[in-house]
Amino acid sequence: MSLLARDVYVVGVGMHPFNNDGVPVYDMAYDAGIAALDDSGLDFPEIGALYNGYLGGGIGMGVRVAKEFGLTGIPVTHVENASATGSCAFGEAVHAVAGGRVDVAMALGFDDLNRMGGIGRSGKPGLGAEDVMLPAAFFAMWATRRMHECGTTVETYAQIAAKNWNHARENPFAQRRVDHEMTVDEILGSTMIAYPHTSKMACAAGGGAAAAIVATEEVARRIGGPAIKVVASQQQSETYTDGHVFLGAVIGPAQMTRDTSAAAYEQAGLGPGDLDLVQVHDAFPVEELVYYELLGICGEGEADKLVATGETSIGGRIPFSTDGGLTARGHPGGPTGLAQIHETVLQLRGTARLRQVDGARTGLCHMAGAGSVCVVHILQRS
Amino acid sequence: MIPTDDELFRLPDDGEQRPRLRGSFAPESGLYFWPRRKRCPVTRSAVRDVDLGPVGVLHSWTFLHVPRMGKVSFGDSGGYGVGQVDLPEGVRIQAPLMGTEADWSIGDEMGLTLFPVGADDEGNELVTFRFEAIR
Repeated sequence: MSLLARDVYVVGVGMHPFNNDGVPVYDMAYDAGIAALDDSGLDFPEIGALYNGYLGGGIGMGVRVAKEFGLTGIPVTHVENASATGSCAFGEAVHAVAGGRVDVAMALGFDDLNRMGGIGRSGKPGLGAEDVMLPAAFFAMWATRRMHECGTTVETYAQIAAKNWNHARENPFAQRRVDHEMTVDEILGSTMIAYPHTSKMACAAGGGAAAAIVATEEVARRIGGPAIKVVASQQQSETYTDGHVFLGAVIGPAQMTRDTSAAAYEQAGLGPGDLDLVQVHDAFPVEELVYYELLGICGEGEADKLVATGETSIGGRIPFSTDGGLTARGHPGGPTGLAQIHETVLQLRGTARLRQVDGARTGLCHMAGAGSVCVVHILQRS
Repeated sequence: MIPTDDELFRLPDDGEQRPRLRGSFAPESGLYFWPRRKRCPVTRSAVRDVDLGPVGVLHSWTFLHVPRMGKVSFGDSGGYGVGQVDLPEGVRIQAPLMGTEADWSIGDEMGLTLFPVGADDEGNELVTFRFEAIR
C-alpha cells in the first residue's frame, strides 16, 4: 500500500453541536465551516477546494453554503456515501492535498436526519424489501447472531452504550448529554427498538455540522501549533464473502472493516497496538463490540472481555468513542465522520478537557456506510 | 393475486406448495445470487436466471418494534419479525418472518410463504413474501 504522495496535516477543525432542536442545516453548516477556519487561522481564499458531505439538503446545497464563505471560484464538490459521507469528504480533501491538486482543502459535513425521507425502493412504499429491512433490524440481527455464536449478553451491549453516554457527558458538542451517570439498568429499561437493542442503545438521530481543514506540511508549519498528520486514508467497498447479502439494509460483510483497517495500518506503518484511541461507527453497540476484533484490538471472541474490564472506556487501555460516539454524540449523517476527525484532533492536541485520553498520540477513525463502504483514517501527532 | 415485486419472487406454479425467489446462477464460478445480477460479481462471467428456495435455515433474527429508531412506533399493533435465511444454494436472504419471537430460533428450518399486503387500484390482491418456521 503506497504512502500518501505528499504529507497531509489537519490544521483546523470545527463543529456545530449535534442536536435535536431543528436548527436550520444551512446555518449549522456555516457555523462549522467558520469554526474550522477560525481554528486554523486561515481565511477562506486560502482554501483550494471544498468537499461537502450531506445526504439531504437537495441539489446544489453545498455550493450555496460555499457562497456564504466567499465567492473565490474554487471547486466545490458534493460527496455522499450514506453514514460514511463525512469520512469520504475528508478522504477526498486529504487526497486533493496529497495528490498536489491544492495545498489546502476543506471537508464540511452537514445534515438533519429528521428532515430526510426514509430508505425505500422507489414507487412501492412499504412493500419493497428495503422498506421493511431497516438498519435497526440489520444490526439487531448481528447482535442476536453474536449472542448465539459467542454467548454475548444483552448486558454487554448495554455496558457499551452506557460507556458512550457517559463519555458524551463531557462533550459540549454531543446531542445526548445527561446530568447523571448512565447505568446499564437505564439503558436496558428504555424502549425496545429491535431485540436486543433498546432506544438508548440506538444512535442519536438529529442534526449537526462538522468541518476539517487539511494542508501540506509547508502550510501546517506556517500555521504552527501541534502538527496532526494524516498517516493513513483508506476507503473500500465490499468484496464477495460467504453469505453475502445484496438486498435490504446492508453495511457490507465484516471482512470489509478488516480489509480496510489492514490497508490503513500498512499505509501508516503502524499496528493496532500503536493506537491510543479509536472512533467507530457505533450505530448500535454490537458494532463497536465486533469492531474491537475486526480492527485487531483483540482476538476473535475476546471483545466481550474488553467491555467487562473497562479497557475501552476513557482511562482504559484503548478508549473507544471518546466523544460519545454515534450512540450519544449523535449521527446526523453527513457530518458524523467529520465529528470523529474533530474529536481525534482535539484528543491528539491534548485539548479534550475532561474526556482527554492521557498521552494520546495516535487515533483511528472508522466509519461504515450503507451500500456498502468502509473508511479508515489514522491521525498522529508528529 | 399479484406479487408486489415480480423481479424478486414469483407465485407458486401448479403443484408447488411455496413461492420461489428469482435469482441468478453463474456457471463459471458456481455461485448463486439474489436478487438477480447483471453478471457474476466475482468472475464477471455470464449468469442465467434461476428460481431459489423455497426452504432454508434461519441464520439470525430480530423483532422490530420501532423501525425508525424512535421516530416511528408500531405501538399496540406490535411490529414484525425479520430474519436472515440461508438457502441451500449458498444465498443469504433478508426478509420478514411470520409470527412472533416465540416462533423461531437460529437454526430452524424456514419456508418461503406469501403475505397479503392489500390490493392494487383494480382490486387485485397484492402479496409479498415472508419466511415461516416449518414444524
